[in-house]
Amino acid sequence: MSIIGIRRAGIFLAALGLLGLGVVYWMSFFWVSTEASQGIVQRIFYVHPPAAWTSFLAFGIAALTSGMYLWLRDERLDWAASSAAEGGMVFATIMLITGPLWGKIAWGTYWTWEPRLTLTLLLWFVFVGYFMVRRSTDNPEQGKRFSAVVAIVGALLIPFIHLSVVWFRSLHPEPVVITPEGPSLPGDMLTTLLVSVGVFTVLFLGLFMLRYALEGIRHELQVRARRAAA
Amino acid sequence: MPRLDQILRGVLSLILLSISFSALAAQATGSGGAAGVGGLRAYWHVFIAYAVVLVLVLGWVISIGRRLKDVEQRLGE
Amino acid sequence: MSLYLRQIGVIVWKDLLLELRTRERVAAMGAFAVLAGVLFNFSTDRSLVRPQDMAAGLIWMTIVFDGLLGVGRTFHLEAEDGALQGLLMSPAPKDAIFLGKALSNFVLLYAVALLVLAVFMLFFGLGIGSSPAAVLLSLGLGALGFVALGTLFAAVSSGTRMGETVLPILVFPLLVPMVIYGAGATGRLLAGRPVAEVAGNLRMLGAFALVALAAGAALFRFVVED
Repeated sequence: MSIIGIRRAGIFLAALGLLGLGVVYWMSFFWVSTEASQGIVQRIFYVHPPAAWTSFLAFGIAALTSGMYLWLRDERLDWAASSAAEGGMVFATIMLITGPLWGKIAWGTYWTWEPRLTLTLLLWFVFVGYFMVRRSTDNPEQGKRFSAVVAIVGALLIPFIHLSVVWFRSLHPEPVVITPEGPSLPGDMLTTLLVSVGVFTVLFLGLFMLRYALEGIRHELQVRARRAAA
Repeated sequence: MPRLDQILRGVLSLILLSISFSALAAQATGSGGAAGVGGLRAYWHVFIAYAVVLVLVLGWVISIGRRLKDVEQRLGE
Repeated sequence: MSLYLRQIGVIVWKDLLLELRTRERVAAMGAFAVLAGVLFNFSTDRSLVRPQDMAAGLIWMTIVFDGLLGVGRTFHLEAEDGALQGLLMSPAPKDAIFLGKALSNFVLLYAVALLVLAVFMLFFGLGIGSSPAAVLLSLGLGALGFVALGTLFAAVSSGTRMGETVLPILVFPLLVPMVIYGAGATGRLLAGRPVAEVAGNLRMLGAFALVALAAGAALFRFVVED
């Protein structure tokens, strides 16, 4: 697919996603019923897990394309990796801010070492490392390779991090998590959640494609500049 | 790129719509939620959260848009 | 296979010899171990907490910080004198170079870890607990995992303008499993719990070290290529 095509598709998906976000907001405030024990704060639930899911999807894409980049050395794979990492960081930030806001009401404290929250925090720092290393080399090619290595090692060790954090948590029980994901999540809540997950995914993919197209166009600029200089 | 400007404008109107929706929602769910856990003071959590989502998402959108515009301008020269 | 092992051995021998002669890192890391113990003693209020309760955690964090000190300098010499080029041009495969570097770091760090353990036992009046061997094993496996990640990212950080300051950011998030399982095991053992209780922890530490070493060996070549 050409850069122009990707740019177009990206704009379409992003616009669709933003529209969908409006729909989710409407559903979340006006359509879905209020949860009994937590009141309206529970509605954060409709943006918090979707953001988490999106950030992990983004990281998966970043790690995979990083691995392929080191193997195949196609620039475009690096464009994909850095675009995904950027998006992943945005959504991880959303997850890390909405989590404590919800947690204060649901669990009584702003921070709790809940496995998903902890994992996302660590993932956030892997993203930070990714960009720090990428931008602090004199040779940009080296920076791309370094950041690819960061992404890959992060992905390889995520299972260990997850297992260890879950184990740690089982030893140190924290305030009981009132999860709305109980044995039977009421129909309208499930619908809203699923719609939100879909919307966040579409939104991320659209913006990911736009970001990718940005890299492509930048590359084209460099190529033309080099040609003009020759 | 005029199309990007259109998108930015559409996006800004979305923000305004959502903010006004949220304000309406505050009144709509106000009486119902007061009896729940946390009561009235819990409200601002929800709205900050949803505002944060908007700010960060739109922030990324605008950041990409700006960079794209810049690069495409330079390409046009 | 034996050539491969010999190549690794040569690198380990060279680095350890250099370290023995200059004693740069050993001195710094050793002093850090003792002084950290001193500071921790003064930072804990014995009327509020029993040092025994916190000892395992403090031991592991001291080892982590100390390790950071040492591992950051892994490629310092090579970077300064341009010796890295020579090393890379040698017939030794890149993963052998990595494993050699990591292993020499391990020897250094493990020696320091033992010092940290001794210092904390002395300063905080700890007993060796139920199984000295298991404690030594947990420290060893933890040190192995640490040097694997540390050596790989030391190569990365020495190629950036930020140098060693970026090393904690890269390494700390990934050390969480090591600290959880390691400090968990050491804490229980020092408290007198049976080895069977911590066997799972030791297995996870071992698996972590293995994956970290494999990842480092596989990815090192991408870090040092031109």
